[in-house]
Amino acid sequence: MKLALTVNGERREVDVPPNTSLLSLLRDDLGLTGTRYGCGRGQCGACYVLADAGVGAPGHGARAVASCLLTADQAARMEITTVEGLADGTKLHPVQQAFIDGDALQCGYCTSGMVISAVALLARDPRPDETSIRDALAGNLCRCGVYGRAIRAIRRVAESS
Amino acid sequence: MWDRREPERLEQRIRVERDGTVTALSGKIDFGQGLRTAFAQIVADELDVPIERVNMVLGDTDQVPFDFGTFGSHSVAQEAPLLRKAAAFARRQLIARASTKLGVSGEKLDTDAGAVVGRGTRVLYGELIDSEPLTGVIPDRVVLMPETRRKYAGRPTPHVEARDIVTGQATFVADVRLPNMARGAMVRPPARGAKLRSVDDSTARKMPGVVAVVRQGDVVGVVAERDEQARAAAAAVEADWHALPVEGPTAEVPMRSDPEVDERLHGAAMRLAQTYVLPPIANAPIGPSAAVADVRADGATMYVGTHRPFGVREQVAKTVGLPEKKVRVLPQITSGTYGRNSHADAAIEAAILSKGSGRPVLLQWTREEEFAWSPSRPEAVLEISAGLDADGHIVSWRYDEHTNVHTAAGLDPGVLGVTSGRNAVPPYAGFPSRVTLHIEPTRLRTANFRSLAAAENVFAIESFMDELAALSGQDPLAFRLRHIDDERFRRVVERVAEASGWTEHSGNRRGRGIACTVYHDTYVAQVAEVEVSLSGAVRLVKVWCVVDPGQTVNPEGVRNQIEGGIQQSASWTLKEELLHRDGRVMNTGWDTYPIATFRDAPESIEVLVEGDESAPPTGVGEPGAVPTAAAIANAVFAASGARLRSVPLTRERVRKAMPA
Repeated sequence: MKLALTVNGERREVDVPPNTSLLSLLRDDLGLTGTRYGCGRGQCGACYVLADAGVGAPGHGARAVASCLLTADQAARMEITTVEGLADGTKLHPVQQAFIDGDALQCGYCTSGMVISAVALLARDPRPDETSIRDALAGNLCRCGVYGRAIRAIRRVAESS
Repeated sequence: MWDRREPERLEQRIRVERDGTVTALSGKIDFGQGLRTAFAQIVADELDVPIERVNMVLGDTDQVPFDFGTFGSHSVAQEAPLLRKAAAFARRQLIARASTKLGVSGEKLDTDAGAVVGRGTRVLYGELIDSEPLTGVIPDRVVLMPETRRKYAGRPTPHVEARDIVTGQATFVADVRLPNMARGAMVRPPARGAKLRSVDDSTARKMPGVVAVVRQGDVVGVVAERDEQARAAAAAVEADWHALPVEGPTAEVPMRSDPEVDERLHGAAMRLAQTYVLPPIANAPIGPSAAVADVRADGATMYVGTHRPFGVREQVAKTVGLPEKKVRVLPQITSGTYGRNSHADAAIEAAILSKGSGRPVLLQWTREEEFAWSPSRPEAVLEISAGLDADGHIVSWRYDEHTNVHTAAGLDPGVLGVTSGRNAVPPYAGFPSRVTLHIEPTRLRTANFRSLAAAENVFAIESFMDELAALSGQDPLAFRLRHIDDERFRRVVERVAEASGWTEHSGNRRGRGIACTVYHDTYVAQVAEVEVSLSGAVRLVKVWCVVDPGQTVNPEGVRNQIEGGIQQSASWTLKEELLHRDGRVMNTGWDTYPIATFRDAPESIEVLVEGDESAPPTGVGEPGAVPTAAAIANAVFAASGARLRSVPLTRERVRKAMPA
């Protein structure tokens, strides 16, 4: 099945079997392996990407979605941004920089998904309180236990915006 | 066996490259515990180079010296002095080379940020490598950089790989891409230990993208062009299995046996006997196991996540029939696994699939496979009896630990004592004790898990200490201090009481609990504050922790590890239980095996790193997780009067245990 979709602002053409997941397409066809497989059921957040279906204010309609649950042809109707597409050249997205500065990671496997959820949250609510942060990232599981650090990192971004 | 070391040679540890970068080598592996950063700090300091120029190679079996494995929070303690000496020796050699080149006495030369300097000249390290690499046996005594000149060690330093991780550039095992690489998927038996009678792969072979159906012994899997194709075909393979119940081994290990334990117990003024129960739990890494194998007739390359690259090399060599030196194991960044990666199962399966298909193969286990087939933390039943004199001093202690085997290291009593029996002997002084470890059979596959049996034993011991204090009307903190004779231990306990304001009243439905331990010479004490609802739901509000890990290389890394250990242990304590029947795990997803989420994280985890700088560095990856369960259970008692002797502390259990 031939498809064209927009990923990180670029138009990409792929030929994949029907029902291929967006996750598989990103990782295996586009080489964007920063989006990670965790459960295949949308229960862990490791595979989150930003998906903008063109609803809501321009640039503010992107939601964090589980790429393991989206099929490639569903994704073709949206603008997809992965963790690789967040930085502006060499300048990191403020959330990425805050995760580094706050050492808000250990093994790093869940980090891409957390960063994506945080970016989506801050896009719709630039000054979230702690409860909003916890709610927005409740779908991002971390086993190493960096929740507290991630909350503090996101708060710092919100406070400096 | 634990220490098969030859004299250390510089070229096996440090390579100064012509471009001025430094490659440092270690057989230890980083799973997110920050070793790469701690090692880079040490090398950067001793060689006097900016940390950005230090490239750590961890675990590449073609490059690094033999290493038994990354276990037991020993890594910094074992490797830091070696790398420090190697780097210092390299710096000496660079100064000597510069001295010859410039015709200036070495004593008049110094180093500065990757260059030898003196007499107004500056020679970059890279320029001194043109002729030949630095080599030689690392001497026992090398003059080290004075501490005042260290720029990194002892200072908070973020993870060196952090930028790659937040931008998605880091290569985890499943991110390895090789030319012509195919995907694997396994066909699983109904239960562990089943033998394969026959396989019908006629349908599977015809499915789209299928390259091969591979069988070796009782292992069957499919290789296909795409991941989904391999899975679909694996589901279509008809395998006939003969189920054979497998049971783990049994053993009995006397850990300690002082005289007069029974006599003193019988003669005690007050006596208490209790039993504590912990279910098996899962490592539950966020990234399920994965491995990439490229097995050819003349050699194999393995890209894996492992605690023991040389162990994987040996197992893979045997599996595919190659000499060990023809197998190269390249450990990759991996999802944190907390112990489970001591087993090489995905690597061995990937090697079989690659050999059988003639293609490089990436095998990615599914979430369900990870829960069902990876080894779990054993269950434990801990029986304790103790007697107190009329003054409230412990006079006798009897402890029986019943658990399953924790490691694949065998049934040698010495090994069992330090693995399955870890921290079974209480850290308190002044009374005789008898401690016995009983290894019981299990149908579950069990393995190393963060702190081995220490988390279980310390849950029992520290809960029981609270119960003894309550029985004799003593404050739990004061009761512990009466039985501590080690000054470093006493200090962390006193400090955590101060930091948490132990004597303050925590308020309605809230309570605080204390627990402490000594884990591999790391001293750790914690206070937990919880809120218990009317119906028994426990919310962890705050945790205070004081840790003394001796000399500290990266205080920020220590804090991160300890916080993580506490957060993970709180999840074990409040939520986790692996359900199984006949050796088959029943809860194989995040919906049926929930772990703590962002919503469950406590308001704060305050970690005070107060290392005794005169003591050698000890581990921090595990100790943080050890006292947390008891601190929480003791806090639940303080808040609600409910004494819980079984984890997880579910709402129903707490409600039932609340006094009427």
